[in-house]
This record gives sequence, C-alpha cells and structure tokens, in this order.
Amino acid sequence: MTTCKNCSFYFAVPEDAGDFEAGKGDCVLEREDAKGKYWLSKPTKNDSASCKAFKKA
Amino acid sequence: MSTVAASIKYNGKVVDFPLANPAENEIADEVLHENLARPTTERTKRLKARCRWKHAAAGEFVDAEVRAGIERMRYITEAHKASAGQPEVIRRALGLANILNKSTLVLQQDEFIIGYHAEDPEMFPLYPELAYMAVQDYLMSDYSPQPKDEAAEINEYWKKYSMQAKGERYFTQEELLQMYQVSTMEAPGFATGYNSISPPYETVLQDGLLKRIESAKEKIEHAKKEMQKIPWNATTGLDWIARIDVWKAMIIADEAVINWARRHARLAKIVAENFETNPARKEELLEIAEISQRVPAEPCKGLKDAFQSKWYTYLICHAIDRYASGYAQKEDEMLEPYYNISVKEKSFQPMTHTDVVEMVEMERLKISEHGAGKSRAYREIFPGSNDLFILTIGGTKPGYVDACSDMTDAILEGARNIRTTEPSIVFRWHPVGREKTKRLVFECIRDGLGYPSIKHDVIGTEQLKYYSQFSKNSNGATDEEAHYWGLVLCMSPGVCGRRKTHKTRSEGGGSIFPAKMMEIVLADGFDWSYSGMQLGPHTGDPTTFKTFELLWEAFRTQYAYAISKVIRAKDIMRYFESKFLQMPFVSSIDDGCMELGVDAMELSEQPNGWHNPITTVVAANSLVAVKKLIYDEKKYTMAQLVTALHANWHGYEDMRQDFLNAPKWGNDDDYADAIIKDFYEDIIGGEMAKITNYSGGPVLPVGQAVGLYMEIGSRTGPTPDGRFGGDAGDDGGISPYMGTDKKGPTAVLKSVSKVQKNQKANLLNQRLSVPIMRSVHGFNIWKSYMDAWEQLNIDHVQFNCVSTAEMKAAQKEPEKHQDLIVRVSGFSARFVDIPTYGQNTIIARNEQAFGADDLQYLNTQL
Repeated sequence: MTTCKNCSFYFAVPEDAGDFEAGKGDCVLEREDAKGKYWLSKPTKNDSASCKAFKKA
Repeated sequence: MSTVAASIKYNGKVVDFPLANPAENEIADEVLHENLARPTTERTKRLKARCRWKHAAAGEFVDAEVRAGIERMRYITEAHKASAGQPEVIRRALGLANILNKSTLVLQQDEFIIGYHAEDPEMFPLYPELAYMAVQDYLMSDYSPQPKDEAAEINEYWKKYSMQAKGERYFTQEELLQMYQVSTMEAPGFATGYNSISPPYETVLQDGLLKRIESAKEKIEHAKKEMQKIPWNATTGLDWIARIDVWKAMIIADEAVINWARRHARLAKIVAENFETNPARKEELLEIAEISQRVPAEPCKGLKDAFQSKWYTYLICHAIDRYASGYAQKEDEMLEPYYNISVKEKSFQPMTHTDVVEMVEMERLKISEHGAGKSRAYREIFPGSNDLFILTIGGTKPGYVDACSDMTDAILEGARNIRTTEPSIVFRWHPVGREKTKRLVFECIRDGLGYPSIKHDVIGTEQLKYYSQFSKNSNGATDEEAHYWGLVLCMSPGVCGRRKTHKTRSEGGGSIFPAKMMEIVLADGFDWSYSGMQLGPHTGDPTTFKTFELLWEAFRTQYAYAISKVIRAKDIMRYFESKFLQMPFVSSIDDGCMELGVDAMELSEQPNGWHNPITTVVAANSLVAVKKLIYDEKKYTMAQLVTALHANWHGYEDMRQDFLNAPKWGNDDDYADAIIKDFYEDIIGGEMAKITNYSGGPVLPVGQAVGLYMEIGSRTGPTPDGRFGGDAGDDGGISPYMGTDKKGPTAVLKSVSKVQKNQKANLLNQRLSVPIMRSVHGFNIWKSYMDAWEQLNIDHVQFNCVSTAEMKAAQKEPEKHQDLIVRVSGFSARFVDIPTYGQNTIIARNEQAFGADDLQYLNTQL
C-alpha cells in the first residue's frame, strides 16, 4: 500500500513546530481554475493511505 | 458625450460648471463608472480581475461556483462530542482548536495578505451550533455542503444544543411565529445566527498572542494561590473556579491560533521551495512565511505585519470561531504607528506610500472574496454585496484634535483606485479634519463608490460618554476611549481598542419595522396582507378612533410590544451566549476579560444598546396624511381609508392621489415635520429608551434600512402615504421616501435636523448630481454642504453619485457594467447584482442638484 510518506506532496511537520506530532505532515496540492492557481494544505499522517493525487516522491 | 450641468445665476454672476477633468467630456454618461478604476499596480489589477466575489442577489449567490464547505461544521462537531463533560468554556476553546488544527489552508496566486476561512476559496463555512434553520436552508439549496448526508447528520446533532433550541424555549409559539414573519420585527439572533463584533485588534498587534498567553498563565497562578489561602473563604474562593476555566480556555485558543498562522507560514515556504518558479514571487513567499511565523504570535514590527496580523484576527473573530458581519475597526489610527515605522522611519519592512496604497487595495480584495455563511434572509438584505463590511477613519483624538493621517489618505486612495463594493468606509467628520483628506473623501464619493459615508464626530464621541454612565462595573469608556470609536456595523458607533468593544449583536443590532406596524394598527393588530395572523396586541378598530391621538397611542402600543419582545430575545440570546457560546479567543485579546477572567460574551463594561427601526418614514408620512385628510380637513373618514387600503387603492385612485400628495418628510414643511419630529422622538426613540438591556443601559434607535426596505416593503400592504402594497419602504433611517424630497438638498437637511432627542443614529441617503459633483466647483459645493450638515448637528449622511442614464444602460446590458457601484443603504453594491426591484428603488431616488437658493443657504464660495 502506498502511503502519504512516499508522496511528493507530503511535507513532514518540523519538530520545532507548535503542532508537531510524530508522523504528522502537510499535504500541499496545487489547484488551478478559471480564476487562477492556488495551493491547499491539509494535515495528514505519513502512514495514511495515499489518495488519487499521489505522486511518487 | 458627458452631460455638463446648466449654468446658474448666483450672487449676481453666471456660474458655469465645466468638468474638472476635461478628458471626461468624451466619456458618455452611460459608461462613466467603467472608466474610473485605476488599480495602483499590475498585481492589484490582476487580483481584481480574478476576484472571487461572493455577491448575492435576491438571496442567491451570483457566481455559480460559490458553495458551503463542510470542514468547519465537521470539526466543531467532532470536538463537541469528544469534550463532553468538560467546562463549557473549555469545550468552546477545544472546538476552535480542532477547526484550526485540522482545516485545509488556502494560499492564492499573487496575494500578499494570506488566509481564508474555508477549505476552498469558493467556499464559506457554516455554523450549526447557532441556528439549525439557517443550515437546513443551505442543505436544501444548490450550495449545500458535501457530503450532504454528513452535513444533515451534523445539523441534526446540533438541534438540541443550538442557540436556536435554547432561545426558543422562552417564547410562546405565537411569539415565535410573530418574530419569524420578519415583517413587524426581525427574527431573533438565535434563529438566524446573524452577529456582529468589534474585535480588540490592538492587543494582538501591540502585544502578540504569546504575551497574552503569559498573562493568562500568570492569572491562573495567582488564582490558585488565592484559593490556597488559609482560612478558606468560599464566598470569594469559589469565584476563582470559573475564572481559571476562562483563562485556561484563552490559552488553548491562543496557542491554536498561533499554530494555525504558522501552518500558513509553512505553506508559503513549501510553495516557494517546491512549486513557484518566478524568483521574485519565490522571495515574496518566503517573506510571507517569515511574517506568518512572527504574527500574530509576536507584536507587529512593521506595516506588513500589521495587515497580516489584523487579517488573521479578523478571520477568527468573524468567520471561524463564529460568524459575525462587519469590519469594525478604527483602521487609520490602528495602523498609523506601523505606517510611520515602515514609510517614514523605514526601520522595518520599509516601503513607500504607494506600496501602502497597494496593501490597502489587496486588503480590500481579500474582503471582496470573503464569503459569509449567513442565512437566506440576510443574503436577501444585502443584494449586490458579499456581506456588511465597514471600517472607520478620520475623526478626532482627545481634545478634538484631528486624527487624520497619511494612513487615512492611503486607505482612501486605495479605495478610490481599486473600486470594490466592499469594505465600505465611514469617515468621521469634524471641522478640524484636514482638507487634504476631505478632498480624498470627496473623490471617492464623486466617483460613485457610495462611501465614505459620513458620521458626525462630536455626536458619536459624546454618545459613547453618555452610555458610559450606565456601565454595570462602573468602568465604561473614559473620555479618551470615547474618541477612539468606529462603527460596529453600518451606523452605530462603538468603542474600538483594547477593551470595552462590542462583542455580540445581542448588544446592538436587529430591526423593527414601523411601516408594517402602521398597517396592522389600522387592522387591530392583524396582518391581513401577508401572514394572515395577529402580529401584535389588539389595539382596537381604527374606525372608532375619534381623535388622531387615539391612532397615535395605538401605534405606540404596537411599537412598545414589538420592541420589548425583540430586545428580550436579544438578551435571552446573550444569556445563553455567556453559558454555551463563549469566545475564548476574543476574551484573550480583550484587556477587561483578561484582567477579570470573564468571557467576552458575559462581560459588559461599556453599554451600547441599540435597535434599528426601518421604514419609519413610510409610517411617519402615513400619520401626516391621516391627520391632515381625516382628522384636520375631514375630507375622508377612517372607514373610507381602511376600505381603500384593503383594495390596495384599486378603484380609489383620486383618493390615493390626495394621500400621496399630502405633505411629505424632507421638504422643510412645518406641518409634516412637526408630526414626524414627535414621532421619532416620542415613540420611535422614546419608547425604545424606556428599555434597559443586558448591559444596564437604555436602548436607542439606529435607523438604517440596509436592503430591508425592499424585503419589508414587499411584505407590507398599502399604507396611508399613498404607497401601494408591496412597494419598497423608505431607504434610509431618516431619509425622505424615494422621489418625495422635492425642495432641494438643503430642505432635506433642514427637515432632518429637527429630530434630535432620543436617537442614537439615523441614516440619511442622498443622491447628488453627477455633473455638479464632477465639475470644477464640485468639491467647494460638497464641502459647504458638509459644513452645513455638521453645524445642523445631523448624525449621518451618505451619497449616491451615479446617473440615471448609466443605471438604465446597466439594466439593458449588465455584462458591460461590472464596475458600476451604487449605495443601497449602509452598504455599497454592484448595481447589476441587485434585483431589478431594488435597482428601480435607487433610480427612483431624487438626484439632487444645487440651485442658487441652496448655494446661498450653504454660503458656498464659487
């Protein structure tokens, strides 16, 4: 099973961050619509099952 | 070709009105507004072009992409379930923390001020803990949160816990139905979720949240020591329990907000390092990251910090912790110290004045994208806009010293240049205000933005001092604090700053509708034209009213009944807010809450009670017509009038013309004005002032129609002023009824100035001649008008400066008029996003020109 940890859109939360938890990361995805580009950041865990946006790191 | 005003003879000479900008001679009246925008930079031009407006028209979102998100309702529900058994104030803090920790963040191309309140820039959040009816309406719409089943389950969960369920228990079914008609009175806040707040931004900018957390920790330590004192004294010792919980909740909330802001910092850095290819933008994203790492945790060090810290605070207070309309702040004075650091001293985040104007434009565009998850009724009453957003500038410091600054000017320049419907601006007018700034105010008005609206600086300041005497803890606004005020929503002054600000709409806001009351007074309290139910007490068969005074007293009875009920509903809401809807973050940034360990929903230091009579002038003109034609001249009987009204005047056109042509408000007519002055001061203000609200002070009227003059007009049957059933009400609070002010702009001022007693604020809508305002004499004429307005002690005025030709052209080809802005009432709107019914009410307003008599009265120097 592929997990978030292996995804290029997964960014581990630094240890000095206030919301740090072991295995926690930010899933950052680029989106674009008629009004332009934007980026979304959603908390995730490195062992979460990958989603359809998965891209191998 | 542009229209030029006709020459007039004034003071013995002929005065011509050439346009101030000769190039405008080549611009047709029909397209003027499309030629006025001039964004300061290419960036703000792009941001405006792609702005994700969330305007509503007739209650529906104009843009098909706009929809409700589910994340906020999901996470607050998850936290509520998980925190059962904990103190309620802690549960509220944990709810906010869960939303902030888990929600999706948004960062958009080109933006410098970052942060959004939903999981997608086209979305807005919902609030099931407030009113399940409002959420249910969304579930039945095209903008329902998805998955819909999950949203429905969440809404069902909250039914028994919601403010609506709690508040409804203390009213009879009949009372609730009367309020839910929204025809004599607005529905209670516990059923709509509508709210307003003035966040104490200054503590966040000046202290930073880390310092607030330290303060709360010190308070807890102190409390614990007090509780350990020997001998134990329960009469004081037990008080610490609730206070400790409040301080603990503050810490939870503030830590969550810091982490949330720093998640934004991480996002900006990740995008800079992994997605962005433009080196300049990459560098800017790293700067954005640095700012969000610093604020709101730490004090602001420069102007960029201040804009960002303020924005995060706004999102929490107005959209994430709880919904609240408005954009209350004294923005120029709040930002001036940081302007000085960055622009004048250039010691941190150095920038030019033009850079500041660009920041202002970017902030305006952030607000323009801000969606509000408010109920259908509140979408209906702000047509052509996202919501009600109003910031305050100008005015005076203690001692009535001019408070205008270069920051004030930057705010005005940004507004003039970028041309957005929101946020609206209020300018506090005082004779000492500098002319340079007043010219910018004029330019914004002249260019048709509909703002700044103008408030009388002395009236507002003295009013806050007056309310201060009723403070329950004898700590109302000091004289110095009374000078630092901004409008809470579109009309009512409230203290800004570090403490004593307005925290919930249960203090002030909400409406009552005299036009509909006039209708039911003539039907023994029964609403025959809309709901078919008894809306108020039985005040008798009007045909038995032998004197005008009996009619007057019947109206008083209906009004007193309604106003007491709506204020009771607000105070019951406040009671439950303090028990179940605490706002630990807001409490943490209020010096009073921090000092006393009392939640912001409970603590009231500065009373500021008000309620909004809307459609007063329809009722007032009706009373004038009835007195003249039935009681004085005896041309008709009351029975004839009642019959004609029930026929909606059909078959009674001659009679209707008589009632229509009876003296009307706004013409300096002694007969009409004497009755109407009494009506405002004795009934509208006098009855309201008898009430004492939660904060211990009187409640005073703030007449302001917003879009409710349309909504209520459509629910109000024919009235004795000659109006047909369903026609709009009057569009201000003290404005003449549309098209009935026929004696020029100074006659309006003279009428309005007669009402002085028992009022808190009254909205005066005026429409000024475009050719005169854009002429070489425009500023001088307007300035002399404003000086006269100030000397007449009138509380407020706002202006439309748009031609009928342009509005009619926009009705024909709306796609070509996206930049046409009009003032509705208390807010500005994109004209083409207003329903035709509403558009026509703006076209119907008299476009006031200035004749020689007006100019002589104003002593205008040309």
